[in-house]
Amino acid sequence: MAALTKHTRGTIVRRLAAWVCMLALVSSALANATGSSEQQASAARLNENQRILHVLNRLGFGPRPGDVERVKSIGLDRYIDQQLHPERISDAAVEARLQDLATLRMSTAELIAKYPNPGMLLRQLQRRGEVPADLAALRENRTKGKAVSGAAAPPTDSGAQMEAPAGNSAPGSNGNAQAKAGDNAEYRQALREYYLKNNLQLPRVIIQDLQASRILRAVYSERQLQEVMVDFWTNHFNIFAGKGMDQWFLTSYDRDVIRPHAFGKFQDLLLATAQSPAMLFYLDNFQSVSPHAQMGGQNRRRELLDPFGRMPGRINNNPFRRNGANLLAINRELLRAQQQGTRIMREGPQTMPQPQRPRRGINENYARELMELHTLGVDGGYTQKDVQEVARCFTGWTIRNPRGLLNDGEAGTFYFNPRLHDDGEKIVLGHKIPAGGGIKDGLMVLDILARHPSTAKFIATKLSRRFVSDNPSPALVERVAAAFRKSDGDIRETLRAIFTSPEFNSPEAYRAKIKTPFELAVSAIRALGGETDGRPALHQWIARMGEPLYMYQAPTGYPDTAESWVNTGALLERLNFALALASNRIPGTRVDLARYAGGEANQARVADQFFNVILQGDVSPRTKETLLKKLSEPPTATTAAEPNSLMAGNEGAGYDRLARRERREMRAVNASASPVNADVARIAGLILGSPEFQRQ
Amino acid sequence: MSINRRFFLKSGGVALASITFAHAAPSFLQRTALAQGVGRAGGGRRKTIIAIFQRGAVDGLNMVVPHGESAYYNMRPTIAVAKPRSGDQEAAIDLDGFFGLHPALAPFKPLWDEKRLAIVHACGSPDNTRSHFDAQDYMESATPGVKSTPDGWLNRYLQASKDPTASPFRAVSMTPGLPRSLMGRAPALAIQDLSAFAIRAGAQTASVQGGFEAIYEQGVDEVLRGTGKETFAAVKFLKQANPAQYKPENGAQYPRGRFGTSLLQIAQLIKAGVGLEVAFTDCGGWDTHTNEGNARGQLGLRLQEFGAGIAALVTDLGQRMDDVVILTMSEFGRTARENGNRGTDHGHANAMFVIGNAVRGGRVYGKWPGLRNDQLYEGRDLALTTDFRDVFSEVVQRHMGNSNLQTIFPRYEVSAAKFRGFLG
Repeated sequence: MAALTKHTRGTIVRRLAAWVCMLALVSSALANATGSSEQQASAARLNENQRILHVLNRLGFGPRPGDVERVKSIGLDRYIDQQLHPERISDAAVEARLQDLATLRMSTAELIAKYPNPGMLLRQLQRRGEVPADLAALRENRTKGKAVSGAAAPPTDSGAQMEAPAGNSAPGSNGNAQAKAGDNAEYRQALREYYLKNNLQLPRVIIQDLQASRILRAVYSERQLQEVMVDFWTNHFNIFAGKGMDQWFLTSYDRDVIRPHAFGKFQDLLLATAQSPAMLFYLDNFQSVSPHAQMGGQNRRRELLDPFGRMPGRINNNPFRRNGANLLAINRELLRAQQQGTRIMREGPQTMPQPQRPRRGINENYARELMELHTLGVDGGYTQKDVQEVARCFTGWTIRNPRGLLNDGEAGTFYFNPRLHDDGEKIVLGHKIPAGGGIKDGLMVLDILARHPSTAKFIATKLSRRFVSDNPSPALVERVAAAFRKSDGDIRETLRAIFTSPEFNSPEAYRAKIKTPFELAVSAIRALGGETDGRPALHQWIARMGEPLYMYQAPTGYPDTAESWVNTGALLERLNFALALASNRIPGTRVDLARYAGGEANQARVADQFFNVILQGDVSPRTKETLLKKLSEPPTATTAAEPNSLMAGNEGAGYDRLARRERREMRAVNASASPVNADVARIAGLILGSPEFQRQ
Repeated sequence: MSINRRFFLKSGGVALASITFAHAAPSFLQRTALAQGVGRAGGGRRKTIIAIFQRGAVDGLNMVVPHGESAYYNMRPTIAVAKPRSGDQEAAIDLDGFFGLHPALAPFKPLWDEKRLAIVHACGSPDNTRSHFDAQDYMESATPGVKSTPDGWLNRYLQASKDPTASPFRAVSMTPGLPRSLMGRAPALAIQDLSAFAIRAGAQTASVQGGFEAIYEQGVDEVLRGTGKETFAAVKFLKQANPAQYKPENGAQYPRGRFGTSLLQIAQLIKAGVGLEVAFTDCGGWDTHTNEGNARGQLGLRLQEFGAGIAALVTDLGQRMDDVVILTMSEFGRTARENGNRGTDHGHANAMFVIGNAVRGGRVYGKWPGLRNDQLYEGRDLALTTDFRDVFSEVVQRHMGNSNLQTIFPRYEVSAAKFRGFLG
């Protein structure tokens, strides 16, 4: 009867609005949820533990063992206030864990110099006349040889390879790069030695380090809200690591643009993104040039060189650059197979593809996304004419030596080039921007946009969606937008308005959101008090669940409502992630389940332990009951004869690298695990995969 | 098991309601089977589109050779494909006296002769970007020049053709991640290996899966319960289908490698009757800046795999090609002239293949702009005479039966008047 009621209620509610359907779960979870109507349930309040849990889930990546008690002793309001001032929280422990990630502390110029891809490197050496003789000779041989398939190409570096382990980062060390031509193997070997001798590494290490740093901080930082906000702004001002030079620019983007401004004035953050090489490159503004730009005279060549990073007559397209293939590549095995088909063609001896004329003229991409995605929102009240005018304002906002072709410590930094700027008068959203403003034009635009009421509303909507529910009420959004406007776009004050709102603290908001893949992975490790070194293996799971960091192609960022990421394939990977984590099958990540299970042999008591550890005991009686019942059934182990699709002998199929690897992992686990351990891992895995833990 | 497998291979979806599977057929399959039996809401059988992206910009002028153009031979002294000559395996394969196939695409010739293969030449994106990244983005979102389009054109098709009976396998990409074309609100799967689409818990798989199933089944959480139910149904079904044991029909031989495997698995899903409507895969290695080769060489090797793979798929699917259209695309073409490295650089218009039993094949569609200097786009590239959206939209309307073109192709004046007519 109770089941029927709940079911029916849930169905009705879903028809009303998707998020309200959580009501059913909430009411069943609440000890005092006796109300039979939504009205009464709404009036219910969260108990203290639930409030703390809610805050730990939303202002952070979920509780670690002991966190609930810790917050209780600090006091919830005080804890929230602390989180709003991350600069006051010591975070030495996490900093120590980041020590090994050397790229995090390097300038863009250093990164380009020390983590070049082979094409860039050779071009740099060529420019300086420093290509080592042996390398030059091998390269010459290689390119004179018979044409071979793309699969035998030299090691290239692209987004498609980003997931390979950092330790394997010298060129030629890819086990998959099976040379078909001896010349190629030799060339690759020489290249590899050159990298080793000169202490160089491939650029994929940069993004791997960055991904690892995000994971480590989210798991271990005491500044949990800061990490949530970094995640939020990184997605709001999305950059795709797979686009051209952006893989070298993202380190600075995270360190110098997003983090320092995550809690300040929105306008400062906006300006920092507008002047970041990452954004200038990603949305093409670095090559947006006034059609009236004065290109004549002595300076012409010089001016063209800088913004496009090319010598006159040089190329626009780096032959080693990705060919754009499969940029969402998600794990090494899959990648390897894929690369067979997606290699970029080999570089020739004279090597430079024909010069492409620099594209001169206005590029509107940044202007459009600035208004549509960063500030006003798509219905924010701007016209195509505004897009054009804003684009004119930003001409000349470009990147110094963007491809690091010249030895230059300032390579890959913002600069304003007045010669490329359109200095005429512009009208933006009804505001006149007088002629002759130079760099001030863009600054004025950012000011107009940051203060625009549509921006307040847009940012308030997205923040409310992030912190409260996928469908925040208009009343909440309006209150949050008002806080944004009143505080002149102060992010901290805007957040405070959300955290103190009745909506945030209501039972309807409790576990109303489904965790993103990143949130799920991090919160699972935290819940079990696990250890991770942030190695790519863990990130591969985040990728399999659908949202690899810095790998979303479109400037919209990952969708911010769950309907976009809850689907069959993603759910399956979530469950598999839960199992892999619980059974310690993720290299570089460990959980110690014995710590919770002890020597307990009674499965029901073990399950009780994990309900407490993973879900803080807040689990619907029926989930609990079902699970316990299931556990009491005799195990139905898959026998070898049974055609478990993974275990079946399908080596001949040739497409089952993943399966093979998992079999290897599985064998290791099965060999090492005692039956009790396997049972404990199964219980923990089931609870990590439960609907309750998918939510926050 | 062997009965199931035979059933699986021979019968396709309609028979799923038969006793063999009745106890196990997941609800979505029963719906699908039913839908296939009686036709879809809009009438007619379920149609499938297979989109194949040649990433890296294939050289359309060497893929579909305008051997009737003397300019072609003048501009490509070392990499041109020779004029058709009977008995010459290294010459272009003549199609209509003016165009010819690259010899590595010989497997396409029978399809052309049977009028199941059409070509649209001088086709592509009006945006003049020569960035792989941007051009792929524009083609997959089908909004050239606009980057913020949140979804891909195939996903918008799925959104616009709401299907209450949709199966989790309605849209599948055989790639490691979901391609831009399929991103968006409508559910779509990225699977690279059908046999890995499972709960992976070693010896405990069965009991773990049972446990998950039970807690999702009883859950009060509507959203996750629904998704969970579909997930387990899909997993079980695939397990029974036993993808590892698949044998292609009609003697089809897929080339080894990821591309061939992805096509094989698409065929498998189509035959399994799991409600596949949109399939996607891609292949790369087309960025032939140096040593492109003519009849032989890098491009030839890539085309060999490409042609053999698609031909195997058509052979394997046999009569099922009545309801399938294969559409190939690439972000832009390459320069009309060869460069100093016996290769070609980033260009503009390109060629697309459209293959299916319903296709009015044996013709090259589109207006040929010519290759004389004054006819080239920006003095260097094949000019564009067909917007790729006119090709996509013709497939969407005439094959998939969705006329909601304005929604699927926003910011574009799309109309049947611009269709090239390869689908009647």
